[in-house]
Amino acid sequence: MSIGSATSEGAVRVQSAVPRRAVIDRAWRAIGSGVEVLSADDGGPLRRTVKRILDPLVLRLRSNTSYSAPVLAPEVAAAMHTLIVGHGPQLRATADWFVMLKAERRRQRLTTGNAQELYFPVCFELAVTKGVPQKEDQHTATEVLHDLHRGRDRTAIEVLNRHVEDPAVVARLASLRDRSWRDVRPDGNITGPFFTGLVTVLGAAVSHREVTARQRVWTALIADATPYNLGASAHGAATVPWSIVEIGLSSVEPQRPPAIDGDAGGDRPMDRSVVDRVRATLRRALDRDELPDVPLLCAEEVDRACAPWGLMGEDKQAALVAGVEMATDLRPLGDSVSTRYELSGRVQARLVKEAYVMHARRYLAAGGAIHPRQRQVVDELAAFARPYLSRLWARLHGRDVWQESCGDVDDLRSLLEGAARSVSLDHRQRIKAMLELRAAG
Amino acid sequence: MRLINESGLWTTGAAPAPIPAVAVLEVSGAVLSWPVDEPSRSPVMSFTDAARADWMWRILGETGHVAVIEALRDADPARMIELPSVSVLPGSADSLRRLALGHWLRRWWPASRRDGITVLDRGVLDAEVAVLTAAAEDYFTDDTLDADVAGLLAPRGVALASRRDPRVEVLVAQCRDLADEMGLEWAAQDVGVARREDYALAAGRADGSPSPGAIATGEVTIAWSVVPPGVFDAAERNLDWAVVSEGAAVTARLRAAVSGPDSAAGIPVSLRCGPFHAVGVLDATGGAALPVLDADGQPVDEARAWDADWSATEISVGAGGAAESGELRDRVRAFARARLAAPTADAFLAELLAAESDY
Repeated sequence: MSIGSATSEGAVRVQSAVPRRAVIDRAWRAIGSGVEVLSADDGGPLRRTVKRILDPLVLRLRSNTSYSAPVLAPEVAAAMHTLIVGHGPQLRATADWFVMLKAERRRQRLTTGNAQELYFPVCFELAVTKGVPQKEDQHTATEVLHDLHRGRDRTAIEVLNRHVEDPAVVARLASLRDRSWRDVRPDGNITGPFFTGLVTVLGAAVSHREVTARQRVWTALIADATPYNLGASAHGAATVPWSIVEIGLSSVEPQRPPAIDGDAGGDRPMDRSVVDRVRATLRRALDRDELPDVPLLCAEEVDRACAPWGLMGEDKQAALVAGVEMATDLRPLGDSVSTRYELSGRVQARLVKEAYVMHARRYLAAGGAIHPRQRQVVDELAAFARPYLSRLWARLHGRDVWQESCGDVDDLRSLLEGAARSVSLDHRQRIKAMLELRAAG
Repeated sequence: MRLINESGLWTTGAAPAPIPAVAVLEVSGAVLSWPVDEPSRSPVMSFTDAARADWMWRILGETGHVAVIEALRDADPARMIELPSVSVLPGSADSLRRLALGHWLRRWWPASRRDGITVLDRGVLDAEVAVLTAAAEDYFTDDTLDADVAGLLAPRGVALASRRDPRVEVLVAQCRDLADEMGLEWAAQDVGVARREDYALAAGRADGSPSPGAIATGEVTIAWSVVPPGVFDAAERNLDWAVVSEGAAVTARLRAAVSGPDSAAGIPVSLRCGPFHAVGVLDATGGAALPVLDADGQPVDEARAWDADWSATEISVGAGGAAESGELRDRVRAFARARLAAPTADAFLAELLAAESDY
């Protein structure tokens, strides 16, 4: 390549980086008319248009990770623009389908669920497969709403319920459980190197070299036997660095073998029965194309429930242990908390700010409940590790079932941050609700 | 614009005013704050996660947005970052400030019968904040505390319709559309009656007349930031107390001026003076009668009570702990009065209705 061509290329790209959402906004406006129902008053796309259609289905962020950066290089921005504008016909058809589904929603007097949230993805799917809706597509609209509102999950859960009504099935699962549980044993290796590695994984990385090193360390930690050993130790009398009761992963110590069905004697993640775990999987499976085979899921879940931390993948086990280390650092209602990792420090700073917002809004007094009625929820928020690890575990469990990797260190870090964000929001909303309760009454 | 790292978060400045004179808004990736009584100021932005603040270009411009992201990428927290070419575009944050103000009005409006600061209609205010929130959805890519339209609509669908005011009718129609879209049960009903009840409780407030035969009496102010809103009259000296002798026992009688609509029931209250103390909770009308005990937890008799010096008596109501100063409360009252006296362009309908009802 000659120097001359490089220079002229540079001259073409005078434009600098662009904020991601600004690119989407511009591309959306370039589509022109026909997408009004998917647009906000100012002509940009609705928040849910971005969240439910553009990001997952048009830009496919899962596979096109370069499209998800907060600011985009000009050539990425240009590609994204072209991709969105190129979907103009499908997006216009999506809008038409949405109008049809909304009319059908009114006709059937359906009031549950957020219409945009529920219908947008399915409208796009219909637009891609059937194009612009015709008069005779009315029955499709009826069927789609029936599916969405009756819930495919309920159908699958009924299959599950029937499956485990058979005592022979339960007995088979129980003997499978007994065998799996016996097979999981710690090998007594040292755990020190793993925790040293976590300092890097949960630490800052500025230079390219450090970023690469952080990924390398995480890959090595996934291959380390420590998470497996710690999880296996929690099954027996062997010591674990934390109390699994205190951090809220189990209601008893040592952890009990999982019940197959029925009362599991506790509500913590490791207490949950196998059937309960499968039920959660089915509930989360709504967005999946095909429903999984229920008997197979049950058998697999027995193995998973017996695996260390109730997770099969070594990457998930390692992620959970990293999460435990994070969680024990976090105290949303503590002011000057010293944290051991850069990541937990950042999350802690955020939690403190969020608590400040609650105080500035008179939902909390400085550092605690503003009304005795809030005390229980406030105490739960203060003991952050428990709800945090429940949430994180549920997410890891989902990934384990669908075999989605946690191997990417940035992905791991955003998973750890995301769980904190959603637990904090959840709790703050409950704290708020405890105050506003009386207003309704 | 300048960015400093304060307690682990990058921010464009210190808090612009102390609680309760600060209006805050939690958006995706940042908390914005304004002094509630200085509408022309640009917001202080504290980034909880700048990468998730995907709306920044709307108020900083695209180059400003990129500049902030680039500057914060692995920035050294010990250093201050100067971005001289980046600033908030004039007017771009006005709708956000108004939303923050709406939230502030919901929680801190110093309604007081004594001070003559009219209560704001909750239903109308919540409905308007809900509509503004829905219109600001671009700032809530991540759900935040302030993204919760359903929470604003849910409890008070009951409260709007029969006001026979065209402005309220427009609001009701907007809320109905919103609720429809979101799959919420929401039906506006009569409120004219409920509003009068907001005041009914206020009539039962303390009148300051000392209890006959009181050993000691006094009055104190309940700090706003240690109690929930919508319970107490926000005036100064809104709680009367008396130590009285009743038969053999000595009792602390406390009575707070309540305004409603919410109940004072269960709010902790205590009286302390040297070794003597009386601890309990208020009843629904803001009153409490509590036995006075000594350091050993034994009831105090009349003779000891008469002998004691009660001038150092301290009353605590609510959560206790750090509270705002009286000057701050005065500043907020002045702000509220000014808004009622001369409604501004950013006035909420609930404020207009309150101002109109003042005649």
